[in-house]
Amino acid sequence: MNTDSGNLPAAAGSPRKPWRRAFARVPLLAWLCGGLAAVVLEHFFGPQLAELLGLPKVPVLFGFLTILGKPPLIPSTAVFITLIYGLPLLLVSRLLAGPANRLAAFLLQGPLAVSVLIHLALFYGTLHLWSDLSAYRVLTLKLTLIAVMLTLSLNVINGYMGEFSCSHPAFMALGAYAASVMTLVFFAKDKQFGEALLPAALGPFMFPLVLIAAGAVAAVGALVIAVPSFRTRGDYLAIISLAFMFIVKSMIENLEWIGGPRGLSSQPNYANLPTVFLWAAACIWIINNFVRSTLGKALNAVRDDEIAADAMTVDTRRTKMVAFLFGAFWAGVAGGLFAHVLRYVNPGSFGLQKLAEVLAMVYFGGLNSVYGSIVGAVSLSLLGEALRPLELFKWIIIPLMLILVMIFRPTGLIAFREFDVRKLVQPKLNPDREV
Amino acid sequence: MRKSFVAVGVALAVVLAFSPFGWSAEQTIKVGINAPITGDIPKVGEGTKFAAQMWLEDVMAAGGLEVGGKKYPVELVIEDNEAKAESAVTANTKMITQDEVLVIVGPQSSKQAIPAGDVANNYATPMITPWSTNPDATKDRPFVFRGCFLDPFQGPVLANFITEEFGFTKAAVLYDVASDYPKGLAEFFKEAWEKVHGPGSVVAFESFTTKDADFSSQLTKIIQSGAEVLFTPQYYNEVALIVQQAHELGWDKPIVGSDSWGSAETVELCGKDCYGLFFSTHYAAAGATGATKEFIDRYQQKYGYVPDDVAALTWDSLGIVQTAIQSLDQLSGDLEKDRKAVRDAMAQVKEFDGITGKMTFTEEGDPIKCAVIVKISDKGEYTFYKSVCP
Repeated sequence: MNTDSGNLPAAAGSPRKPWRRAFARVPLLAWLCGGLAAVVLEHFFGPQLAELLGLPKVPVLFGFLTILGKPPLIPSTAVFITLIYGLPLLLVSRLLAGPANRLAAFLLQGPLAVSVLIHLALFYGTLHLWSDLSAYRVLTLKLTLIAVMLTLSLNVINGYMGEFSCSHPAFMALGAYAASVMTLVFFAKDKQFGEALLPAALGPFMFPLVLIAAGAVAAVGALVIAVPSFRTRGDYLAIISLAFMFIVKSMIENLEWIGGPRGLSSQPNYANLPTVFLWAAACIWIINNFVRSTLGKALNAVRDDEIAADAMTVDTRRTKMVAFLFGAFWAGVAGGLFAHVLRYVNPGSFGLQKLAEVLAMVYFGGLNSVYGSIVGAVSLSLLGEALRPLELFKWIIIPLMLILVMIFRPTGLIAFREFDVRKLVQPKLNPDREV
Repeated sequence: MRKSFVAVGVALAVVLAFSPFGWSAEQTIKVGINAPITGDIPKVGEGTKFAAQMWLEDVMAAGGLEVGGKKYPVELVIEDNEAKAESAVTANTKMITQDEVLVIVGPQSSKQAIPAGDVANNYATPMITPWSTNPDATKDRPFVFRGCFLDPFQGPVLANFITEEFGFTKAAVLYDVASDYPKGLAEFFKEAWEKVHGPGSVVAFESFTTKDADFSSQLTKIIQSGAEVLFTPQYYNEVALIVQQAHELGWDKPIVGSDSWGSAETVELCGKDCYGLFFSTHYAAAGATGATKEFIDRYQQKYGYVPDDVAALTWDSLGIVQTAIQSLDQLSGDLEKDRKAVRDAMAQVKEFDGITGKMTFTEEGDPIKCAVIVKISDKGEYTFYKSVCP
């Protein structure tokens, strides 16, 4: 994170230097505490402060919507953001840097999992309090987390393995429909499938199993792409996977028992924020472990030179198979969550537009990088929401940004960067010595 | 340095706290508009937006909405749903929880109206979708209403019209199997037709998939089947292709359409081939009288083209909302209570005299209203031919 702070040539008179120095030793733990302090502050004093400043409500997405929607409110919004988010975040994280470093070091003496769980808990607490203020924030957050899962799963295929696959919306649709059908048949009364087969109370507990099954359905669908990928590469595979996407879409459109073009609605409300968060965390953790494993390295070998990889005893077929099935599995899980967040699915949602969105997130964030996928998905989803008041201009600004990123950073914002959990949570005791 | 930041912040806060707009506590009525301004059907979003802006002008010219003797200013909150289901849901959530709208008009297409209606119903906020014809949009949702008739009504209307007008007994249907609106309507038409003329009287029931452009094999089958009339509930871009290709293949019998034909683009794309054909719709622009003509003229003068049915239905939906709000005794200022009151008032609306016909709501929130049969004249205008009531 702060690798270069000590090694920079002393930029004389640069005003940023002291700031960088002051915050170079702040570990993630302290940042999270700062974030928590900010949202606690907003939780208790946000509405009053907003009223005092003449804002109609607490600014919802860090003030973007207010600023773009009603320019006269810019000063009050800026004050609000500074007082509620900026100052507490900086102050608390700086003040807690020392104790947090010691605590982080202490935690790392035990198993890594304990430290990670504590960080995650703090992070979730922050998100929960932040989203508690408005249902709009909750929904945005859920959709963003789902976008992160989708982007990551596509990055496994497109980024790590280097195959240009276009069938991700199809995997997502398979997962979404499989999960919806299962929950509707088993746990909900519905006009399509009639009475529930199992008591509805079981539903929330069985939901993880439903999602896994949905992922499995998507993975089985991915076989259709994985097998041709043994013989085709590049553009040809892109065409095949694109065709697969259309096949799945028109298959769903023609299956009357799952609603056909009218879609399926009234899925039970299982995908609450903790559920989506846990699944997204699990997805990041598992995919990160996967791409750092031997098999994950084999993906890179296949990407760089398939023949050489084969000669070096990499089982390219198995590698491709696993990557497709694994990526599709997570896309299916994300689709299942998506269906239960919206509580309505329609084949029209899983078309070219969705594909463009996911591809943009992957390439914007960066290939071959878990960091990149997270950054790409979060920034594009939040940007999409934040620029909402601009209507048409939103579709000029976002593509323009994509173009600029592609020109100046052709592999994406944060490409080829490893996501090391231990590095992330470790104390920042001596930043100067760190490379 | 940090100190100076704090000082500036506090100073700003103090100044703003005493600034005039810190105290603008006057209650305004906010009306949410959920429209597809970008995405696949921007023309629909544009019509919605323009109609809403015209409505707002009228209301503001009258000094606002009058509730219980007091006038309240009105504010429109227009949100773009990008013609996507998830975006329509976020837009509704935002308008309800963030902008605190009293009532929502939109979304237009069923694909967005069904999930968005769920949100509105969960938050107990009245919503009226002007254009969605899918029964699911309002079903079991006391807070969701609609401004147009449903497909199960339009199918029989057309079947009866053709029977009475031409006396035919054998019909053919050509529809898009992958799009919910044409598919639903085709099925309702078939059902109604066979109810009148007996099973097997729909002699050809041919389908294609969205974005198909060549219909010759289906049309050949239809011509060979001995059908006397062709019913095709398609959108304007396909109507032109279907009609032209049918004529090329030698079809010279009538072709009948549904309200999806009602776009200004239909005749532009189809040209002379479409002259003399019939379709059912919500209103007829040519030869309109009274308030309908007034609306059309104003819209055309302002935006440069004849408004299509989306604009007209949005206008009527806003009229219903206005009637409902003005029929209240007072606005309590408690949003939840007011929303409930508006919902109840909307359910009570009887014989609302809109530009697309008189409307009374059923238990489900669907209006009982008449359909209009339009004939495309020799000048390519949509002329009123007949009104068919349930």
